[in-house]
Amino acid sequence: MTIYRIAYKNLLRKKTRSLLTILGIALSAWVLASLLGFNRGYEWALNRDIDNMGFQVLLTAKGCPYEAATLMLKGGTGLRYLKEVVVKGVAKNPEVVAVTPMLMQAVFDPNKGESGGMSAYLGVDPATFPQAKGFLEFKKGGWFKAPEALDAVMGYEAAELEQREVGDPLLIAEKNAEVKVVGILKRTGTQDDGTIFLPLRTVQKVFGRKGQITGLGIKIRKDADIDKFTQRLYDLPDVQVVSMAQVKNTIMSLLSSAKVMVFSIAVIAIIIAMVGVINTILMSVFERFQELGILKSMGALPKDVFKLVWAETLILCLSGSALGVCLALGLARTTELLVRRLLPYAPNGSLVQIDWALAVATVAAVTAAGLLSGLYPAWRAARVRPLDAMRSEAQ
Amino acid sequence: MRTCALALAILLGLPWPALAAVGCDLNDPDRDVARLFPGSTGFKTSYVSIKDKGGDALLSRVEVRLGDKFKGLYETIDVPYTIYEVLKGKQKVGYIHGVNQKGVYGGIQVFLALDLQGNIKAFYFQKLTSRYAKALRDPKFGKQFEGLSLKDFQDYDAASGKAPDGRLASVRNPAPEAEKDFRSALRGVKKNLILMDEFVFADKKPKALPAEKAK
Repeated sequence: MTIYRIAYKNLLRKKTRSLLTILGIALSAWVLASLLGFNRGYEWALNRDIDNMGFQVLLTAKGCPYEAATLMLKGGTGLRYLKEVVVKGVAKNPEVVAVTPMLMQAVFDPNKGESGGMSAYLGVDPATFPQAKGFLEFKKGGWFKAPEALDAVMGYEAAELEQREVGDPLLIAEKNAEVKVVGILKRTGTQDDGTIFLPLRTVQKVFGRKGQITGLGIKIRKDADIDKFTQRLYDLPDVQVVSMAQVKNTIMSLLSSAKVMVFSIAVIAIIIAMVGVINTILMSVFERFQELGILKSMGALPKDVFKLVWAETLILCLSGSALGVCLALGLARTTELLVRRLLPYAPNGSLVQIDWALAVATVAAVTAAGLLSGLYPAWRAARVRPLDAMRSEAQ
Repeated sequence: MRTCALALAILLGLPWPALAAVGCDLNDPDRDVARLFPGSTGFKTSYVSIKDKGGDALLSRVEVRLGDKFKGLYETIDVPYTIYEVLKGKQKVGYIHGVNQKGVYGGIQVFLALDLQGNIKAFYFQKLTSRYAKALRDPKFGKQFEGLSLKDFQDYDAASGKAPDGRLASVRNPAPEAEKDFRSALRGVKKNLILMDEFVFADKKPKALPAEKAK
């Protein structure tokens, strides 16, 4: 019979106590794995959202930068307008790979609901926007080609809501303008799903905004110095420059304080679980005082007793942490839903990403912490003197 | 131990949110229910889909009764339909149910307030994109549907828009140019009534006795 089998049988002698200890460890491992998974997932999802924008810098009319950042990420309407001539000036910069002007417009539709609602349209340049958003795929149809075509491309959810299919007409309420749906995008999980895209010139014409844009997406070379470039853009009159790196840093720094709090909770959970381990094993050592004495009188060395008790800790910690990681893996989506409700801004995509490496790391960390807490009870067990044990039995 | 394993399995087996087809809910249920059912004091909400209620067999039956096929992104077997059970105190007084219907220029949402027998008490376009929206949303147009029931729509051909003689024939299109949207509205009403019949009223019809069945 191996030492692990004996340790396992010892744990089975007090099933409820062992089970509760395992549950305590499992909960701490669950919290830790979910937190590490969130740490990784959030940044990944944010990077993905930013990459999916197709450009690294956005130029808008002067205004609050945080408002501009929200506008970009949420796909809202711009508050002020830029002159379209700015496009040529920006494109001349050596760092610039491509520029794509956009004009967001919204109209009030009195026939949406009881008291009306807003409908938004994004005017994009058919020559540059499809390249910037190369990842977009069509469910049916394709991009409009002519710069002034009365055509529309709809995000999947926009098409679903408006019940449009390729070839169907679409009415721009208030303006009484009719466009034809030429493409419906596949679901992307981004704000593009709810967007109605029209050619830039068409939006300018229909909404009377000739020569105006609300934003200019700028794709720059990977080796370019983004800070120098954005500084140069500020030389342009009345513009606001928002780099995606800035947006990401702002969001991540806002999130970091929340992360510190949650990490503290995880640490507390682990400490509680470890106190539970010490308590369980120590209780078990005290209860088996005589038994351990007999073991020693039969020739067991202190290191053998130490190993036996430590093996019990190992079994508890391994099973608890494995169960916790399984819970974290299985309930990742539920955790994600809760996180989405709590956070003011959550990017699209999977927010909690737990892979096998992270799962193994969690099991290793929790088990190591558990083994550390098992040192004292094992040491106490190893120090039991046979004579003391027998005396205590006689008493 | 077995109980713990079962609890864990149930936890891990919790349904995950999936990207489902778009449904049709009231924008402001508290306000809308009170307006469509004056005197009501509350409501209960339930969600039903053709897929859950009867699957492909039910879909075929609904299509046959409608006289037209379900099509497009908004008319799929998994569309979750929201049924509002309207209460006055503890007593149930009726239902409100809406459906999505394709219009000429965009989606139309047709809501009906029904009494416990399935008769229309109120008609409401929650959303309508049309050049003639003003005429179609006029309360006079909606009033024409009051008192009608599925029986009046039974012979209405949703595909061709041909209405039989009877009470339905008296429902007038307020704008001749809006003929297509008018037909869409009628198709929406018929679909709404059929779905309510299948989801709610079919369960409430008295079951035939064995002797009657034999006859």
